[in-house]
Amino acid sequence: MPLCAFVLAGLAPAAAQGTHWSYLPVVRPALPETQDSGWCRSGIDRLVLEVMHEHGLQPSPAADPATWLRRVSLDLTGLPPTPAELDAFLAGAGPDARERAVDRLLQGSAYAERWTQWWLDLARYADSQGYEKDDLRRSMWRYRDWVIDAFARDMPFDRFTIEQIAGDLLPGATPEQQLATAFHRQTMTNTEGGTDDEEFRTAAVIDRVDTTMSVWMGFTLGCAQCHDHKYDPFSQKEFYELYAFFDQTEDNDQPDDAPVLRVPTEEQAAAMKVLDLELDELRGRMHAEDAAVMAWAEPRREVLAAFAAAQPKRSPWHVLGPVAAGDLHAAHATAFAPEREGVRLDAEQEGQRWRTEYDYKDGQVHTWKGDNSAFYLHRTYHAEAAAIAVLALGSDDAIKVWWNGAEVLAKEVARPAAPDQEMVSVALRAGDNELLLKVSNGGGPGGFYFDLRATDLGAPVEKVLALAPDARDAAAMDVLRREYLARAPEYAAVRQRIAQAEAELETHRGPLVPILRELPEDKRRTTRIHLRGSFLSPGDVVQPGTPRVWPPLPADAPRNRLGLARWLVARDNPLTARVLVNRLWNELFGRGLVTTLEDFGSQGEPPSHGALLDWLAAELMDGGWSMRHLLRTIVLSATYAQSSALAPELREQDPENRWLARGPAFRLSAEMLRDQALAVSGSLTATVGGPSVMPPQPDGIWMQIYSGERWQTATGPDRHRRGLYTFWRRTSPHPAMLLFDAQSREACVLRRQRTNTPLQALVLWNDPEFHEAALALAARTLLADCAGDDAERIRRLWRRCLLRLPTDTEQSRVLSLLQEERARFAGDPDSARATVGAGADEAPAELAAWSVLASVVMNLDEFVTKR
Amino acid sequence: MHDPFDPSRRWFLRDSALSLGAMALRSAVLGRGAPGGGSLQRPFAPRARNVIYLHMEGAPPTLDMFDRKPELDARNGEKCPDGFLKKERFAFIKGHPLLLGHQHGWIRAANGIEVCELFPHLAQQMGDVTLVRSMVTDQFNHAPAELLLFSGAPRPGRPSMGGWVSYGLGSENNDLPAFVVMLSGGSLPSAGKSLWGAGFLPSVHQGVEFRSQGDPVLYLEDPPGYDRARRERSLRALSDLNREHEQVTGDPETATRIAQYELAFRMQMSVPDAVDLRDEPESVHELYGTTPGQTSFANNCLLARRLVERGVRFVQLFDAGWDIHGTNPGDDLVTQFPKKSRQIDRALAALLIDLRRRGLLDETLVVWGGEFGRTPMNEARDGSKFLGRDHHPHCFSMLLAGGGTRRGAVVGATDELGYQVTDTPVHVHDLQATMLYLLGVDHERLTYKFQGRAFRLTDVHGEVRRELLA
Repeated sequence: MPLCAFVLAGLAPAAAQGTHWSYLPVVRPALPETQDSGWCRSGIDRLVLEVMHEHGLQPSPAADPATWLRRVSLDLTGLPPTPAELDAFLAGAGPDARERAVDRLLQGSAYAERWTQWWLDLARYADSQGYEKDDLRRSMWRYRDWVIDAFARDMPFDRFTIEQIAGDLLPGATPEQQLATAFHRQTMTNTEGGTDDEEFRTAAVIDRVDTTMSVWMGFTLGCAQCHDHKYDPFSQKEFYELYAFFDQTEDNDQPDDAPVLRVPTEEQAAAMKVLDLELDELRGRMHAEDAAVMAWAEPRREVLAAFAAAQPKRSPWHVLGPVAAGDLHAAHATAFAPEREGVRLDAEQEGQRWRTEYDYKDGQVHTWKGDNSAFYLHRTYHAEAAAIAVLALGSDDAIKVWWNGAEVLAKEVARPAAPDQEMVSVALRAGDNELLLKVSNGGGPGGFYFDLRATDLGAPVEKVLALAPDARDAAAMDVLRREYLARAPEYAAVRQRIAQAEAELETHRGPLVPILRELPEDKRRTTRIHLRGSFLSPGDVVQPGTPRVWPPLPADAPRNRLGLARWLVARDNPLTARVLVNRLWNELFGRGLVTTLEDFGSQGEPPSHGALLDWLAAELMDGGWSMRHLLRTIVLSATYAQSSALAPELREQDPENRWLARGPAFRLSAEMLRDQALAVSGSLTATVGGPSVMPPQPDGIWMQIYSGERWQTATGPDRHRRGLYTFWRRTSPHPAMLLFDAQSREACVLRRQRTNTPLQALVLWNDPEFHEAALALAARTLLADCAGDDAERIRRLWRRCLLRLPTDTEQSRVLSLLQEERARFAGDPDSARATVGAGADEAPAELAAWSVLASVVMNLDEFVTKR
Repeated sequence: MHDPFDPSRRWFLRDSALSLGAMALRSAVLGRGAPGGGSLQRPFAPRARNVIYLHMEGAPPTLDMFDRKPELDARNGEKCPDGFLKKERFAFIKGHPLLLGHQHGWIRAANGIEVCELFPHLAQQMGDVTLVRSMVTDQFNHAPAELLLFSGAPRPGRPSMGGWVSYGLGSENNDLPAFVVMLSGGSLPSAGKSLWGAGFLPSVHQGVEFRSQGDPVLYLEDPPGYDRARRERSLRALSDLNREHEQVTGDPETATRIAQYELAFRMQMSVPDAVDLRDEPESVHELYGTTPGQTSFANNCLLARRLVERGVRFVQLFDAGWDIHGTNPGDDLVTQFPKKSRQIDRALAALLIDLRRRGLLDETLVVWGGEFGRTPMNEARDGSKFLGRDHHPHCFSMLLAGGGTRRGAVVGATDELGYQVTDTPVHVHDLQATMLYLLGVDHERLTYKFQGRAFRLTDVHGEVRRELLA
């Protein structure tokens, strides 16, 4: 039973014979002695050279400096160097020119953006929820910006790990640390009708287990969801022990993605601070002397006294209705008999008789049935003396009010009734007063609220007002002072400024971002094995735990996500560092030292350079998990600096560049292609971060059933942002991105393929964005001050795009194309104008001809490939 | 020496960057293979060379089309048997629903069976069709059921059926994609574009959507002011420069890229040519009921024939509007269902006639159906007075024609009310296995290793169903 033997071996990995290589602890290997120390610049090179020699290979010559600079710029920042950067690099020749160039590249925000782009595939980042409805998540960019910020600060990868997996569980977790947990809220949410929330919560938790194991440990445990792993020593029970770590969060497939958190950006926090200060100052101005308050209170006390003296006595309500109408508006607007003829309580009006309603008590909401109809309510008030009073009203839906025959309120709205939706001041006269309400209803229940009050100040204020002035204590005075400040016209300006500042403050609080939050102790779930992978077939109870084959969780580690996160980045974890350096190597060389980035298990490929993998892993961990340090080490190696030119014998000996006897060469990613085109044409908008943007895409891509969401093509600078900011909807990602091998991100993307298809040619030729870039590049080339010298302009074009000068053959080939296009466009001004578009200059033929040239250069194999 | 074109590698391909490049190159660049031979060694003699899959998005009430139940008419308005409700989840039905009889009459089809009167044209073609009355699926919501049907798993992320076929068999036309998708009915399918995605297969295997508005293929049209000659001149310059640079790099990818640009240039001609219906004779338009320039199921049927004629391996049509719940006249049995039926009856019959006349039916597998069935009970959502049926995974009918399937046969049966299969259940995984078999592919051997596991279209299920084969 080899599988069992494997499991046993796993229990004591270091001691056992035949233990799978990736379970063994990372030990920094001794560097081999080498004959060719002149070539080697670092430990990397000595380890690579040793393997090269084993295969009878020699290093390729170094790439020329310009090629190296383009390579390292694209790798570290996702953008090509500018001609000026190239000049500076070439001029600054010296032993540390390369170090300085690399340090410059590693410091900028472009570096953070490029590596964020890489991480977003692993994080399965998207701006939508996925599944059938695929509703938008317009706040996720806050998490993306968290990642940018982390890379910009070179946050150590161990901390980067802990904050994303368990930031909420850190002692005194900051909002930013909680925001980081949105990593695992990138799982999909199903809002389709009739779906079982538990089914999709379970799917999300399984995704978290799979993603965590794949991204950090390089193991795919997905199959252990249903049964014991076939090839590697993981049981189904162990899968659910990992599952248990993630089974205790609050989220459960809710449409609003709860729980969510507002996390202001740094700028927002700063703006809030300024506003808070201003508000403190403004609120400080809201004070008043007792005398002013007393002076304000006195007339109001008199109103109150007059109302008390009037002793208004009400009749019961008389009600007529429902009076049917076509719709709410007709019900509200039509003057039915009581309005036309006056209220006649003893007669039939609109074919109905008035009825007396004793149950409509004041100060409560009362409801009735009657779609599209009007109700009239009538009552009288008998007053002993004249006074001022306030009608407090609510209505479902529209309302009109007449007081002593005069219309005092008319409002056509649709709403449920609630207290005090309207306040109307009226004059009570001595003797009888007549009140008529008309409440008109659209659909559903109708209803109203009514109360007669002395003032609109509210009972607590009225109570204090009623006291004799000398009977008011300090608390009573405070009540009055608050009311005075809230109403007195002399404070209107300050009040308005406070309201503005408060509203502005609200806009800076940041969007609601989905986060992980642990359930309270008394609401914890019991995790069970799902028999055959079905959440409907619960099996034995399991506790959080890590697979036996790897070092155990420390005895004192918490059995929660925080414990798991720390375990992932513990020095004795054999995988996290190896898996990470392998991914970085893959990004730079186009091929991992372990080619199966996603499988470090027995079915994966063994490493081509095991010692190098371990040396890099140790270098990463000993260097404080600094990605910047590790990338710097790799790109400054002689291995990385080799030319990628492929001599025929090398092509035969090592077609896939397994033994690293030459430099890397492969096509740029979808995002890099876009960014490079924008960069060389001078169109790139340099803004970092912020909400995702919608650059142009063909019409009809977002054709959806349920959703009214539209792709609103950006105008202005947002058309030309870097690719990582393009809005990502899972059911409909940007088509040009998909054609260049981006994936939908419904699950984490461990490795993008690199295809080479005719549809890609069509994008680079014809996508309006690339056409615009070609025009911009042409215009830029024409602007160069070289007195109309075609040859010089071609040289500049070449240098800007390819960082080198054209060969004579190339020069004459494009010159002949230019001359032909120039002549043909000159003879066909309509085509020239069509090519250059509206608002172009007076010489469209020249610009059009150069744009054809620019497009050719931007389609060159050399341009779309990193070499 | 490493030979990326060695066909034996394809089955057990290691997922390395270079072999992927080779794969993509293989199916996108290489020309027409031997007829039916494609680009791999197939374990069985293929009977079908191409597939036209007609998917009725939303799930048509096949009970009312191909599976007449006199008992259902007799018990119209009665409460359904209690047994129907045990351990059952419905998408919308609440309480104890009432049985709903058929709303339309029946006519006798060419092979003697009864077919809904709304399908007079199709009825005449049933002699060429295998009617499967006993289809079964596991999913009762649209998106998961469509994903199960087209990718073998109910959640997004797996390659689609057409993607697998493209991966396994490649293209037979060096100017057109191997897998083409066309939409009608005004909306995307519920599960979106993952229904024709490549999943984890190289993206070259994703279905290419031929659109009826704008460019027929995204980005096909040159920028403004370009004519054919200008595009050709720029292509020549590009190729010359690339070849010049290839001398320096020695990189085989450069050669591939040169070839792909040449192909793109040819596609700019071949695609508009393939989709231009104006060159069809009036008699053909009469047969299908087509009008050039429209977006319609009929136009897409005619386009499908033109594409398989040109060697496109897998043509997938989605027609939306079949979700007959009965919540309003736009989705009920009395108004919407006849409307949709009229939209497809003539075109569907025409497609079979046309393929047969051209001798293409024997080598083209035509599949028609939805993602699940509909309940024999009236849904009556929120007391709706419109008649309709809820989602129902336990049984539904599908049609297969050509490509080595039986002619005029009926497979399987359902109970007297059309609630459960009583004979020869055919799971959607069986359909997938059988379709691949007809193409000469063993569904258990067409695998792709991804994230440490060998995946296949039929997941871990599926059986080739001899009952469907001629």
